[in-house]
Amino acid sequence: MQHLPGIGPKTAQRLALHLIKRPEEEVKALARALVEAKTQVGFCSVCFHLSAEPVCEICRSPNRDNSTLCIVADSRDVIALEKTREYRGKYHVLGGLISPMDGIGPDQLNIQPLVRRVSQQKIEEVIVAISPSVEGETTTLYVGHLLKPFTRVTRIAFGLPMGGDLEYADEVTLARALEGRRELD
Amino acid sequence: MYLRSLHLRQFRNYREQRVAFSAAKTILLGENAQGKSNLLEAIELLATLRSHRTHRDRDLILDGATAAMITAQVERDLGVASLAIALRQGSRRLLTVNGENLRRQTDFLGTLNAVQFSSLDLELVRGSPELRRHWLDGLLIQLEPVYANLLQQYNHVLKQRNALLKDRQRSLAREQATNRSYQRQDAGTQAQVAASEENLGVNFTEQLALWDAQLAIAGTRVIRRRSRAIQRVAPLAQHWHEAISGSQESLTLTYLPSVAAEPDDPQVIQQKFLERLQERAIAEQFQGTTLVGPHRDEIEFVINQAAARQYGSQGQQRTLVLSLKLAELQLIEAVIQEPPLLLLDDVLAELDLNRQNQLLDAIQDRFQTVITTTHLGAFDAEWLKSSQIFTVKAGQLVEAEE
Ligand SMILES: Nc1ncnc2c1ncn2[C@@H]1O[C@H](COP(=O)(O)OP(=O)(O)OP(=O)(O)O)[C@@H](O)[C@H]1O
Ligand SMILES: [Mg+2]
Ligand SMILES: [Zn+2]
Repeated sequence: MQHLPGIGPKTAQRLALHLIKRPEEEVKALARALVEAKTQVGFCSVCFHLSAEPVCEICRSPNRDNSTLCIVADSRDVIALEKTREYRGKYHVLGGLISPMDGIGPDQLNIQPLVRRVSQQKIEEVIVAISPSVEGETTTLYVGHLLKPFTRVTRIAFGLPMGGDLEYADEVTLARALEGRRELD
Repeated sequence: MYLRSLHLRQFRNYREQRVAFSAAKTILLGENAQGKSNLLEAIELLATLRSHRTHRDRDLILDGATAAMITAQVERDLGVASLAIALRQGSRRLLTVNGENLRRQTDFLGTLNAVQFSSLDLELVRGSPELRRHWLDGLLIQLEPVYANLLQQYNHVLKQRNALLKDRQRSLAREQATNRSYQRQDAGTQAQVAASEENLGVNFTEQLALWDAQLAIAGTRVIRRRSRAIQRVAPLAQHWHEAISGSQESLTLTYLPSVAAEPDDPQVIQQKFLERLQERAIAEQFQGTTLVGPHRDEIEFVINQAAARQYGSQGQQRTLVLSLKLAELQLIEAVIQEPPLLLLDDVLAELDLNRQNQLLDAIQDRFQTVITTTHLGAFDAEWLKSSQIFTVKAGQLVEAEE
Protein backbone atom coordinates (compact mmCIF):
# COMPACT_ATOMS: atom_id res chain seq x y z
CA MET A 1 0.00 0.00 0.00
CA GLN A 2 2.91 2.26 0.77
CA HIS A 3 3.84 2.20 -2.91
CA LEU A 4 0.57 3.90 -3.85
CA PRO A 5 0.88 7.61 -4.61
CA GLY A 6 0.08 9.88 -1.71
CA ILE A 7 0.08 7.08 0.85
CA GLY A 8 2.61 7.33 3.68
CA PRO A 9 3.65 4.46 5.96
CA LYS A 10 1.06 5.36 8.61
CA THR A 11 -1.89 5.54 6.22
CA ALA A 12 -0.73 2.34 4.55
CA GLN A 13 -0.80 0.57 7.88
CA ARG A 14 -4.25 1.94 8.69
CA LEU A 15 -5.64 0.79 5.33
CA ALA A 16 -4.10 -2.66 5.66
CA LEU A 17 -5.47 -3.16 9.17
CA HIS A 18 -8.89 -1.95 8.02
CA LEU A 19 -8.98 -4.41 5.11
CA ILE A 20 -7.96 -7.34 7.27
CA LYS A 21 -10.88 -6.64 9.61
CA ARG A 22 -13.50 -6.55 6.80
CA PRO A 23 -15.53 -9.64 5.82
CA GLU A 24 -13.78 -11.90 3.34
CA GLU A 25 -16.45 -11.37 0.63
CA GLU A 26 -15.96 -7.65 0.70
CA VAL A 27 -12.20 -7.94 0.33
CA LYS A 28 -12.61 -10.43 -2.53
CA ALA A 29 -15.00 -8.07 -4.32
CA LEU A 30 -12.49 -5.26 -4.03
CA ALA A 31 -9.68 -7.46 -5.33
CA ARG A 32 -11.84 -8.54 -8.28
CA ALA A 33 -12.75 -4.96 -9.07
CA LEU A 34 -9.08 -4.00 -9.09
CA VAL A 35 -8.12 -6.84 -11.41
CA GLU A 36 -11.04 -6.08 -13.73
CA ALA A 37 -10.12 -2.43 -13.89
CA LYS A 38 -6.58 -3.39 -14.75
CA THR A 39 -7.57 -5.86 -17.50
CA GLN A 40 -10.50 -3.96 -18.97
CA VAL A 41 -9.45 -0.35 -18.84
CA GLY A 42 -6.80 0.44 -21.38
CA PHE A 43 -5.85 3.49 -23.36
CA CYS A 44 -7.79 5.13 -26.15
CA SER A 45 -5.95 4.38 -29.40
CA VAL A 46 -6.44 7.94 -30.62
CA CYS A 47 -5.80 10.19 -27.62
CA PHE A 48 -4.36 7.78 -25.00
CA HIS A 49 -6.85 8.79 -22.35
CA LEU A 50 -7.99 5.95 -20.07
CA SER A 51 -10.80 4.05 -21.75
CA ALA A 52 -12.60 0.73 -21.56
CA GLU A 53 -13.29 0.92 -25.32
CA PRO A 54 -10.66 1.02 -28.09
CA VAL A 55 -11.65 4.64 -28.77
CA CYS A 56 -12.73 6.77 -25.81
CA GLU A 57 -15.99 8.59 -25.35
CA ILE A 58 -14.48 12.01 -25.96
CA CYS A 59 -12.88 10.96 -29.24
CA ARG A 60 -16.13 9.33 -30.40
CA SER A 61 -18.36 12.26 -29.48
CA PRO A 62 -19.83 14.08 -32.54
CA ASN A 63 -20.42 17.18 -30.43
CA ARG A 64 -16.81 17.98 -29.85
CA ASP A 65 -14.70 20.34 -31.89
CA ASN A 66 -12.26 18.37 -34.02
CA SER A 67 -10.10 21.33 -34.89
CA THR A 68 -8.77 21.99 -31.37
CA LEU A 69 -6.48 19.66 -29.52
CA CYS A 70 -5.47 20.00 -25.89
CA ILE A 71 -2.23 18.31 -24.85
CA VAL A 72 -1.92 17.12 -21.27
CA ALA A 73 0.58 15.01 -19.37
CA ASP A 74 -1.83 12.65 -17.72
CA SER A 75 -5.38 11.30 -17.77
CA ARG A 76 -5.99 13.03 -14.44
CA ASP A 77 -5.54 16.33 -16.23
CA VAL A 78 -8.23 15.40 -18.76
CA ILE A 79 -10.59 14.68 -15.88
CA ALA A 80 -9.72 18.00 -14.21
CA LEU A 81 -10.28 19.95 -17.44
CA GLU A 82 -13.51 18.11 -18.23
CA LYS A 83 -14.90 19.18 -14.86
CA THR A 84 -14.66 22.82 -15.91
CA ARG A 85 -16.97 22.12 -18.91
CA GLU A 86 -15.19 25.03 -20.58
CA TYR A 87 -13.38 23.04 -23.18
CA ARG A 88 -15.15 21.57 -26.21
CA GLY A 89 -12.21 20.29 -28.24
CA LYS A 90 -10.34 16.99 -28.07
CA TYR A 91 -7.34 15.80 -26.11
CA HIS A 92 -4.01 14.12 -26.44
CA VAL A 93 -2.49 12.49 -23.35
CA LEU A 94 1.31 12.27 -23.38
CA GLY A 95 1.48 9.77 -20.55
CA GLY A 96 4.07 11.69 -18.55
CA LEU A 97 6.74 14.35 -18.90
CA ILE A 98 10.29 14.25 -20.21
CA SER A 99 12.50 13.40 -17.24
CA PRO A 100 15.96 11.87 -17.83
CA MET A 101 16.25 11.21 -14.08
CA ASP A 102 13.37 8.80 -14.36
CA GLY A 103 14.53 7.40 -17.69
CA ILE A 104 11.73 9.14 -19.59
CA GLY A 105 12.69 10.61 -22.94
CA PRO A 106 10.40 11.66 -25.83
CA ASP A 107 10.30 8.05 -27.05
CA GLN A 108 8.67 6.88 -23.85
CA LEU A 109 5.80 9.34 -24.33
CA ASN A 110 2.93 9.38 -26.85
CA ILE A 111 4.65 12.06 -28.91
CA GLN A 112 5.10 10.26 -32.25
CA PRO A 113 1.33 9.57 -32.52
CA LEU A 114 0.70 13.21 -31.60
CA VAL A 115 2.86 14.49 -34.43
CA ARG A 116 1.16 12.08 -36.82
CA ARG A 117 -2.25 13.23 -35.63
CA VAL A 118 -1.49 16.91 -36.01
CA SER A 119 0.26 16.58 -39.36
CA GLN A 120 -2.50 14.47 -40.89
CA GLN A 121 -5.66 16.10 -39.57
CA LYS A 122 -7.12 19.56 -39.94
CA ILE A 123 -6.23 20.98 -36.57
CA GLU A 124 -6.36 24.72 -36.20
CA GLU A 125 -5.04 25.06 -32.69
CA VAL A 126 -3.08 22.96 -30.27
CA ILE A 127 -3.35 24.05 -26.64
CA VAL A 128 -0.56 22.85 -24.39
CA ALA A 129 -1.92 22.42 -20.85
CA ILE A 130 1.14 21.26 -18.98
CA SER A 131 2.21 22.50 -15.56
CA PRO A 132 5.13 24.94 -15.52
CA SER A 133 7.50 22.65 -13.60
CA VAL A 134 11.02 22.07 -14.90
CA GLU A 135 9.93 18.87 -16.66
CA GLY A 136 6.70 20.50 -17.83
CA GLU A 137 8.55 23.42 -19.39
CA THR A 138 10.95 21.09 -21.17
CA THR A 139 8.17 18.92 -22.53
CA THR A 140 6.21 21.99 -23.63
CA LEU A 141 9.26 23.35 -25.48
CA TYR A 142 9.82 20.04 -27.20
CA VAL A 143 6.23 19.50 -28.26
CA GLY A 144 5.86 23.10 -29.38
CA HIS A 145 8.96 22.82 -31.52
CA LEU A 146 7.63 19.67 -33.24
CA LEU A 147 4.10 20.93 -33.86
CA LYS A 148 4.68 24.51 -34.93
CA PRO A 149 5.34 23.63 -38.59
CA PHE A 150 1.78 22.26 -38.80
CA THR A 151 -0.48 24.46 -36.74
CA ARG A 152 -0.92 27.26 -34.23
CA VAL A 153 0.38 26.26 -30.79
CA THR A 154 -0.74 28.01 -27.60
CA ARG A 155 -0.27 27.22 -23.96
CA ILE A 156 -2.59 27.87 -21.09
CA ALA A 157 -1.73 30.77 -18.81
CA PHE A 158 -0.82 29.83 -15.30
CA GLY A 159 -2.28 31.53 -12.36
CA LEU A 160 -0.98 28.31 -10.90
CA PRO A 161 1.92 28.26 -8.49
CA MET A 162 5.28 27.38 -10.05
CA GLY A 163 5.75 23.65 -9.91
CA GLY A 164 2.09 23.14 -9.05
CA ASP A 165 0.22 20.16 -10.41
CA LEU A 166 -2.70 20.72 -12.72
CA GLU A 167 -4.86 18.27 -10.83
CA TYR A 168 -4.69 20.33 -7.63
CA ALA A 169 -5.78 23.55 -9.24
CA ASP A 170 -9.36 24.48 -8.52
CA GLU A 171 -11.82 24.64 -11.38
CA VAL A 172 -12.09 28.40 -11.40
CA THR A 173 -8.32 28.77 -11.76
CA LEU A 174 -8.24 26.24 -14.56
CA ALA A 175 -11.11 27.84 -16.42
CA ARG A 176 -9.47 31.23 -16.19
CA ALA A 177 -6.15 29.77 -17.28
CA LEU A 178 -7.78 28.31 -20.37
CA GLU A 179 -9.19 31.67 -21.29
CA GLY A 180 -5.87 33.44 -20.86
CA ARG A 181 -3.89 31.11 -23.07
CA ARG A 182 -1.28 32.66 -25.30
CA GLU A 183 0.90 31.87 -28.30
CA LEU A 184 3.87 29.63 -27.52
CA ASP A 185 7.01 31.47 -28.53
CA MET B 1 14.07 41.90 15.40
CA TYR B 2 14.00 39.85 18.54
CA LEU B 3 13.64 36.13 19.07
CA ARG B 4 11.48 35.89 22.17
CA SER B 5 11.09 32.20 22.58
CA LEU B 6 11.94 28.89 21.05
CA HIS B 7 10.30 25.52 21.52
CA LEU B 8 12.05 22.36 20.35
CA ARG B 9 10.34 18.99 20.21
CA GLN B 10 12.21 15.87 19.20
CA PHE B 11 14.74 18.03 17.42
CA ARG B 12 18.29 16.56 17.39
CA ASN B 13 19.01 15.60 21.02
CA TYR B 14 16.20 17.78 22.45
CA ARG B 15 13.10 15.82 23.44
CA GLU B 16 11.14 18.80 24.71
CA GLN B 17 12.67 22.17 25.48
CA ARG B 18 11.30 25.67 25.81
CA VAL B 19 13.63 28.65 25.84
CA ALA B 20 12.62 32.20 26.76
CA PHE B 21 15.19 34.77 25.70
CA SER B 22 15.25 37.57 28.23
CA ALA B 23 18.40 39.50 27.28
CA ALA B 24 19.97 40.74 24.07
CA LYS B 25 22.84 38.33 24.67
CA THR B 26 22.44 34.68 25.50
CA ILE B 27 25.32 32.38 26.35
CA LEU B 28 24.91 28.62 26.00
CA LEU B 29 27.49 27.01 28.24
CA GLY B 30 28.23 23.30 28.18
CA GLU B 31 30.63 20.45 27.62
CA ASN B 32 31.12 18.99 24.15
CA ALA B 33 28.28 17.12 22.46
CA GLN B 34 25.53 18.39 24.76
CA GLY B 35 23.37 20.23 22.21
CA LYS B 36 24.68 23.79 22.05
CA SER B 37 25.18 23.82 18.29
CA ASN B 38 21.93 21.93 17.83
CA LEU B 39 20.04 24.84 19.33
CA LEU B 40 21.76 27.33 17.02
CA GLU B 41 20.98 25.01 14.13
CA ALA B 42 17.27 25.27 14.96
CA ILE B 43 17.50 29.07 14.73
CA GLU B 44 19.46 28.79 11.48
CA LEU B 45 16.66 26.65 10.05
CA LEU B 46 14.06 29.24 11.02
CA ALA B 47 16.08 31.90 9.21
CA THR B 48 17.16 30.04 6.08
CA LEU B 49 15.32 26.67 6.03
CA ARG B 50 18.76 25.15 5.63
CA SER B 51 21.34 23.71 7.95
CA HIS B 52 25.03 24.06 7.22
CA ARG B 53 25.57 20.68 8.88
CA THR B 54 23.18 18.45 6.97
CA HIS B 55 20.99 18.21 3.87
CA ARG B 56 18.81 15.46 5.25
CA ASP B 57 15.86 16.18 7.47
CA ARG B 58 16.05 12.82 9.12
CA ASP B 59 19.36 13.81 10.74
CA LEU B 60 17.48 16.60 12.46
CA ILE B 61 14.84 14.37 14.01
CA LEU B 62 15.54 12.86 17.43
CA ASP B 63 16.81 9.31 16.99
CA GLY B 64 13.87 6.92 17.18
CA ALA B 65 11.24 9.65 16.62
CA THR B 66 9.35 10.18 13.34
CA ALA B 67 8.93 13.95 13.44
CA ALA B 68 10.52 17.05 14.90
CA MET B 69 8.97 20.42 15.57
CA ILE B 70 10.59 23.84 15.92
CA THR B 71 8.39 26.74 16.96
CA ALA B 72 9.36 30.31 17.73
CA GLN B 73 7.97 33.72 18.57
CA VAL B 74 9.68 36.58 16.78
CA GLU B 75 9.20 40.24 17.54
CA ARG B 76 9.42 42.50 14.51
CA ASP B 77 8.78 46.22 14.15
CA LEU B 78 5.39 45.39 12.70
CA GLY B 79 4.33 42.92 15.38
CA VAL B 80 4.92 39.45 16.75
CA ALA B 81 5.01 36.46 14.43
CA SER B 82 4.97 32.81 15.33
CA LEU B 83 6.89 30.43 13.14
CA ALA B 84 6.74 26.65 13.02
CA ILE B 85 8.66 24.03 11.08
CA ALA B 86 7.59 20.40 11.26
CA LEU B 87 10.18 17.96 9.96
CA ARG B 88 8.76 14.56 9.13
CA GLN B 89 10.50 11.32 8.34
CA GLY B 90 9.91 10.39 4.71
CA SER B 91 7.65 13.31 3.94
CA ARG B 92 7.64 17.00 3.21
CA ARG B 93 8.27 19.73 5.72
CA LEU B 94 5.28 21.63 7.02
CA LEU B 95 5.81 25.35 7.38
CA THR B 96 3.47 27.70 9.19
CA VAL B 97 3.51 31.40 9.95
CA ASN B 98 0.96 32.62 12.49
CA GLY B 99 -0.84 29.31 12.28
CA GLU B 100 -1.26 29.47 8.52
CA ASN B 101 0.11 26.59 6.45
CA LEU B 102 2.37 27.76 3.67
CA ARG B 103 2.82 26.06 0.34
CA ARG B 104 5.95 27.87 -0.63
CA GLN B 105 9.17 28.21 1.31
CA THR B 106 9.63 31.78 0.08
CA ASP B 107 6.58 32.80 2.11
CA PHE B 108 8.25 31.47 5.22
CA LEU B 109 11.66 33.04 4.69
CA GLY B 110 12.25 36.59 5.79
CA THR B 111 10.43 36.64 9.12
CA LEU B 112 13.54 35.76 11.08
CA ASN B 113 16.99 36.75 9.86
CA ALA B 114 20.23 35.49 11.30
CA VAL B 115 23.92 35.49 10.57
CA GLN B 116 25.70 32.34 11.62
CA PHE B 117 29.38 32.41 12.52
CA SER B 118 30.91 29.11 13.55
CA SER B 119 34.42 27.74 13.75
CA LEU B 120 33.54 25.90 10.53
CA ASP B 121 33.37 29.27 8.78
CA LEU B 122 37.10 29.61 9.36
CA GLU B 123 37.30 27.06 6.52
CA LEU B 124 35.63 29.55 4.18
CA VAL B 125 38.92 30.89 2.89
CA ARG B 126 40.92 27.66 2.55
CA GLY B 127 38.12 25.21 1.87
CA SER B 128 36.52 24.15 -1.41
CA PRO B 129 34.66 26.64 -3.64
CA GLU B 130 31.45 24.91 -2.62
CA LEU B 131 31.76 26.37 0.88
CA ARG B 132 32.02 29.89 -0.52
CA ARG B 133 29.04 29.37 -2.83
CA HIS B 134 27.06 28.04 0.10
CA TRP B 135 27.96 31.11 2.15
CA LEU B 136 26.87 33.46 -0.63
CA ASP B 137 23.65 31.51 -1.25
CA GLY B 138 22.77 31.62 2.45
CA LEU B 139 23.18 35.39 2.43
CA LEU B 140 21.16 35.78 -0.76
CA ILE B 141 18.26 33.73 0.57
CA GLN B 142 17.94 36.20 3.41
CA LEU B 143 18.28 39.27 1.21
CA GLU B 144 15.96 38.00 -1.52
CA PRO B 145 13.86 35.00 -0.38
CA VAL B 146 12.77 34.24 -3.96
CA TYR B 147 16.39 33.25 -4.58
CA ALA B 148 15.73 30.02 -2.66
CA ASN B 149 13.31 29.02 -5.44
CA LEU B 150 15.57 30.13 -8.25
CA LEU B 151 18.46 28.12 -6.85
CA GLN B 152 16.29 25.08 -6.31
CA GLN B 153 15.04 25.30 -9.86
CA TYR B 154 18.56 25.56 -11.23
CA ASN B 155 19.68 22.54 -9.23
CA HIS B 156 16.71 20.59 -10.49
CA VAL B 157 17.47 21.37 -14.15
CA LEU B 158 21.11 20.51 -13.48
CA LYS B 159 20.16 17.11 -12.07
CA GLN B 160 18.01 16.33 -15.11
CA ARG B 161 20.70 17.44 -17.53
CA ASN B 162 23.30 15.38 -15.69
CA ALA B 163 21.03 12.34 -15.86
CA LEU B 164 20.77 12.78 -19.62
CA LEU B 165 24.55 13.16 -19.97
CA LYS B 166 25.18 10.09 -17.81
CA ASP B 167 22.84 8.15 -20.04
CA ARG B 168 24.71 9.35 -23.11
CA GLN B 169 28.05 8.42 -21.55
CA ARG B 170 26.80 4.87 -20.96
CA SER B 171 25.49 4.49 -24.50
CA LEU B 172 28.76 5.82 -25.95
CA ALA B 173 30.60 3.17 -23.95
CA ARG B 174 28.24 0.50 -25.24
CA GLU B 175 28.73 1.73 -28.79
CA GLN B 176 32.49 1.36 -28.47
CA ALA B 177 32.07 -2.17 -27.25
CA THR B 178 29.88 -3.14 -30.21
CA ASN B 179 32.21 -1.41 -32.65
CA ARG B 180 34.87 -3.95 -31.78
CA SER B 181 32.70 -6.78 -33.10
CA TYR B 182 31.58 -4.60 -36.00
CA GLN B 183 34.10 -5.74 -38.65
CA ARG B 184 32.81 -9.28 -38.50
CA GLN B 185 29.27 -8.33 -39.56
CA ASP B 186 27.92 -8.25 -43.12
CA ALA B 187 27.34 -4.97 -44.94
CA GLY B 188 23.54 -4.94 -44.48
CA THR B 189 23.69 -5.23 -40.68
CA GLN B 190 26.45 -2.63 -40.56
CA ALA B 191 24.27 -0.11 -42.37
CA GLN B 192 21.38 -0.84 -40.01
CA VAL B 193 23.48 -0.42 -36.89
CA ALA B 194 24.95 2.83 -38.20
CA ALA B 195 21.49 4.21 -38.97
CA SER B 196 20.10 3.40 -35.54
CA GLU B 197 23.14 4.89 -33.83
CA GLU B 198 22.76 8.07 -35.80
CA ASN B 199 19.13 8.17 -34.80
CA LEU B 200 20.05 7.90 -31.14
CA GLY B 201 22.58 10.69 -31.60
CA VAL B 202 20.02 13.04 -33.15
CA ASN B 203 17.57 12.27 -30.41
CA PHE B 204 20.20 13.01 -27.77
CA THR B 205 21.29 16.28 -29.39
CA GLU B 206 17.69 17.44 -29.60
CA GLN B 207 16.99 16.62 -25.98
CA LEU B 208 20.22 18.14 -24.78
CA ALA B 209 19.34 21.38 -26.55
CA LEU B 210 16.12 21.56 -24.51
CA TRP B 211 18.02 21.18 -21.24
CA ASP B 212 20.70 23.62 -22.40
CA ALA B 213 18.04 26.26 -22.87
CA GLN B 214 16.53 25.56 -19.43
CA LEU B 215 19.95 25.51 -17.78
CA ALA B 216 20.94 28.81 -19.37
CA ILE B 217 17.74 30.50 -18.24
CA ALA B 218 17.81 29.19 -14.67
CA GLY B 219 21.60 29.57 -14.40
CA THR B 220 21.56 33.17 -15.61
CA ARG B 221 19.11 34.09 -12.86
CA VAL B 222 21.43 32.60 -10.25
CA ILE B 223 24.52 34.26 -11.71
CA ARG B 224 22.97 37.72 -11.87
CA ARG B 225 21.78 37.61 -8.30
CA ARG B 226 25.09 36.30 -7.01
CA SER B 227 26.93 38.98 -8.90
CA ARG B 228 24.70 41.68 -7.44
CA ALA B 229 25.09 40.33 -3.91
CA ILE B 230 28.89 40.31 -4.17
CA GLN B 231 28.84 43.89 -5.43
CA ARG B 232 26.88 44.90 -2.35
CA VAL B 233 28.78 42.92 0.26
CA ALA B 234 32.31 43.53 -1.08
CA PRO B 235 32.75 47.19 -0.02
CA LEU B 236 31.38 46.44 3.45
CA ALA B 237 33.75 43.51 3.94
CA GLN B 238 36.61 45.62 2.64
CA HIS B 239 35.82 48.30 5.18
CA TRP B 240 35.75 45.86 8.10
CA HIS B 241 38.91 44.12 7.03
CA GLU B 242 40.74 47.40 6.90
CA ALA B 243 39.45 48.37 10.35
CA ILE B 244 40.32 45.08 12.02
CA SER B 245 43.78 44.89 10.50
CA GLY B 246 44.52 48.46 11.60
CA SER B 247 44.68 49.63 7.97
CA GLN B 248 47.49 47.15 7.31
CA GLU B 249 45.56 45.12 4.79
CA SER B 250 43.19 45.65 1.96
CA LEU B 251 40.69 43.01 0.94
CA THR B 252 39.08 42.52 -2.44
CA LEU B 253 36.21 40.17 -3.03
CA THR B 254 35.64 39.04 -6.60
CA TYR B 255 32.93 36.91 -8.07
CA LEU B 256 34.33 34.53 -10.67
CA PRO B 257 31.27 33.07 -12.34
CA SER B 258 31.53 30.09 -14.65
CA VAL B 259 29.88 32.27 -17.32
CA ALA B 260 30.77 35.98 -17.37
CA ALA B 261 28.14 38.12 -15.66
CA GLU B 262 29.03 41.29 -17.58
CA PRO B 263 27.26 43.12 -19.14
CA ASP B 264 24.34 42.62 -16.82
CA ASP B 265 21.77 41.70 -19.45
CA PRO B 266 19.97 38.35 -19.10
CA GLN B 267 19.85 37.83 -22.89
CA VAL B 268 23.57 38.36 -23.26
CA ILE B 269 24.45 36.12 -20.32
CA GLN B 270 22.16 33.35 -21.56
CA GLN B 271 23.78 33.57 -24.98
CA LYS B 272 27.25 33.30 -23.47
CA PHE B 273 26.06 30.45 -21.31
CA LEU B 274 24.94 28.52 -24.40
CA GLU B 275 28.22 29.25 -26.15
CA ARG B 276 30.22 27.94 -23.20
CA LEU B 277 28.09 24.80 -23.20
CA GLN B 278 28.90 24.35 -26.90
CA GLU B 279 32.61 24.67 -26.18
CA ARG B 280 32.50 22.01 -23.52
CA ALA B 281 30.02 19.71 -25.30
CA ILE B 282 32.45 16.91 -26.07
CA ALA B 283 34.05 16.94 -22.63
CA GLU B 284 30.58 16.86 -21.07
CA GLN B 285 29.56 13.81 -23.06
CA PHE B 286 32.66 11.93 -22.03
CA GLN B 287 32.53 12.93 -18.40
CA GLY B 288 28.77 12.46 -18.23
CA THR B 289 28.23 15.64 -16.26
CA THR B 290 27.57 19.35 -16.68
CA LEU B 291 30.78 21.39 -16.71
CA VAL B 292 29.37 24.89 -17.15
CA GLY B 293 27.16 26.85 -14.78
CA PRO B 294 26.85 28.45 -11.37
CA HIS B 295 27.49 25.13 -9.63
CA ARG B 296 31.10 25.77 -10.66
CA ASP B 297 31.31 29.42 -9.64
CA GLU B 298 34.12 30.65 -7.44
CA ILE B 299 34.41 33.60 -5.09
CA GLU B 300 37.91 34.90 -4.74
CA PHE B 301 39.37 36.68 -1.71
CA VAL B 302 42.53 38.70 -2.28
CA ILE B 303 44.48 40.40 0.52
CA ASN B 304 47.06 42.96 -0.60
CA GLN B 305 47.15 41.49 -4.12
CA ALA B 306 47.73 37.91 -2.94
CA ALA B 307 45.10 35.18 -3.06
CA ALA B 308 44.07 34.57 0.53
CA ARG B 309 43.37 30.94 -0.23
CA GLN B 310 47.02 30.16 -0.96
CA TYR B 311 48.92 32.88 0.80
CA GLY B 312 46.77 34.05 3.69
CA SER B 313 48.14 33.49 7.18
CA GLN B 314 45.93 32.01 9.89
CA GLY B 315 45.46 35.48 11.37
CA GLN B 316 44.59 37.05 8.01
CA GLN B 317 42.06 34.35 7.33
CA ARG B 318 40.41 34.93 10.68
CA THR B 319 40.26 38.67 10.03
CA LEU B 320 38.79 37.98 6.62
CA VAL B 321 36.02 35.69 7.84
CA LEU B 322 35.16 38.04 10.68
CA SER B 323 34.95 40.89 8.15
CA LEU B 324 32.63 38.84 5.95
CA LYS B 325 30.34 38.12 8.87
CA LEU B 326 30.21 41.73 9.99
CA ALA B 327 29.52 42.79 6.41
CA GLU B 328 26.71 40.24 6.26
CA LEU B 329 25.14 41.63 9.44
CA GLN B 330 25.37 45.15 8.13
CA LEU B 331 23.98 44.31 4.70
CA ILE B 332 21.02 42.33 6.02
CA GLU B 333 20.24 45.13 8.43
CA ALA B 334 20.36 47.69 5.63
CA VAL B 335 18.10 45.65 3.38
CA ILE B 336 15.45 44.53 5.84
CA GLN B 337 15.67 47.64 8.01
CA GLU B 338 15.95 45.64 11.23
CA PRO B 339 19.03 44.15 12.88
CA PRO B 340 19.28 40.37 12.32
CA LEU B 341 20.31 37.85 14.96
CA LEU B 342 23.91 36.82 15.31
CA LEU B 343 24.74 33.20 16.13
CA LEU B 344 28.28 32.65 17.36
CA ASP B 345 29.15 28.99 17.57
CA ASP B 346 32.39 28.28 19.44
CA VAL B 347 34.05 31.02 17.53
CA LEU B 348 34.87 33.61 20.16
CA ALA B 349 37.56 31.38 21.63
CA GLU B 350 39.14 31.18 18.17
CA LEU B 351 39.63 34.94 17.95
CA ASP B 352 42.37 36.91 19.68
CA LEU B 353 41.52 39.79 22.00
CA ASN B 354 41.76 42.48 19.32
CA ARG B 355 39.38 40.62 17.00
CA GLN B 356 37.05 39.74 19.88
CA ASN B 357 36.81 43.39 20.86
CA GLN B 358 36.14 44.46 17.29
CA LEU B 359 33.33 41.98 17.11
CA LEU B 360 31.84 42.88 20.48
CA ASP B 361 32.07 46.56 19.62
CA ALA B 362 30.20 46.02 16.39
CA ILE B 363 27.46 44.01 18.06
CA GLN B 364 26.90 46.16 21.15
CA ASP B 365 23.27 45.81 22.11
CA ARG B 366 21.90 46.22 18.64
CA PHE B 367 22.08 42.63 17.45
CA GLN B 368 20.50 39.90 19.52
CA THR B 369 23.32 37.41 19.90
CA VAL B 370 23.37 33.75 20.91
CA ILE B 371 26.80 32.42 21.79
CA THR B 372 27.95 28.89 22.55
CA THR B 373 31.02 28.14 24.59
CA THR B 374 32.59 25.43 26.70
CA HIS B 375 33.82 27.90 29.34
CA LEU B 376 33.23 31.46 30.36
CA GLY B 377 36.91 32.32 30.77
CA ALA B 378 37.23 34.19 27.50
CA PHE B 379 34.36 36.58 28.18
CA ASP B 380 34.64 40.16 29.21
CA ALA B 381 33.12 40.81 32.69
CA GLU B 382 30.74 43.45 31.34
CA TRP B 383 29.45 40.95 28.82
CA LEU B 384 28.82 38.27 31.40
CA LYS B 385 26.87 40.72 33.53
CA SER B 386 24.49 41.71 30.75
CA SER B 387 24.01 38.18 29.37
CA GLN B 388 21.51 35.51 30.07
CA ILE B 389 23.41 32.26 30.68
CA PHE B 390 22.07 28.74 30.14
CA THR B 391 23.86 25.54 30.97
CA VAL B 392 23.32 22.86 28.33
CA LYS B 393 23.52 19.23 29.34
CA ALA B 394 22.35 16.23 27.28
CA GLY B 395 19.65 18.10 25.43
CA GLN B 396 18.38 20.11 28.38
CA LEU B 397 18.80 23.77 29.30
CA VAL B 398 19.06 25.15 32.81
CA GLU B 399 19.25 28.88 33.40
CA ALA B 400 22.29 29.69 35.55
CA GLU B 401 21.77 31.34 38.92
CA GLU B 402 22.75 34.99 39.23
N1 LIG C 1 19.05 13.25 15.46
C1 LIG C 1 19.63 13.16 16.67
N2 LIG C 1 19.04 12.48 17.67
C2 LIG C 1 19.62 12.39 18.89
N3 LIG C 1 20.79 12.95 19.20
C3 LIG C 1 21.42 13.64 18.25
C4 LIG C 1 20.87 13.79 16.94
N4 LIG C 1 21.73 14.53 16.22
C5 LIG C 1 22.76 14.82 17.02
N5 LIG C 1 22.59 14.30 18.24
C6 LIG C 1 23.48 14.41 19.40
O1 LIG C 1 23.71 15.75 19.69
C7 LIG C 1 25.00 15.88 20.22
C8 LIG C 1 25.77 16.96 19.50
O2 LIG C 1 25.18 18.15 19.80
P1 LIG C 1 25.87 19.52 19.40
O3 LIG C 1 26.48 19.43 18.07
O4 LIG C 1 24.87 20.56 19.65
O5 LIG C 1 27.05 19.56 20.47
P2 LIG C 1 27.71 20.85 21.15
O6 LIG C 1 27.10 21.01 22.48
O7 LIG C 1 27.66 21.98 20.22
O8 LIG C 1 29.17 20.29 21.30
P3 LIG C 1 30.59 20.93 20.91
O9 LIG C 1 30.99 21.76 22.07
O10 LIG C 1 31.46 19.73 20.77
O11 LIG C 1 30.41 21.68 19.65
C9 LIG C 1 25.71 14.57 20.08
O12 LIG C 1 25.69 13.92 21.32
C10 LIG C 1 24.85 13.83 19.10
O13 LIG C 1 24.86 12.46 19.33
MG1 LIG D 1 29.05 22.70 18.79
ZN1 LIG E 1 -9.66 9.29 -27.01
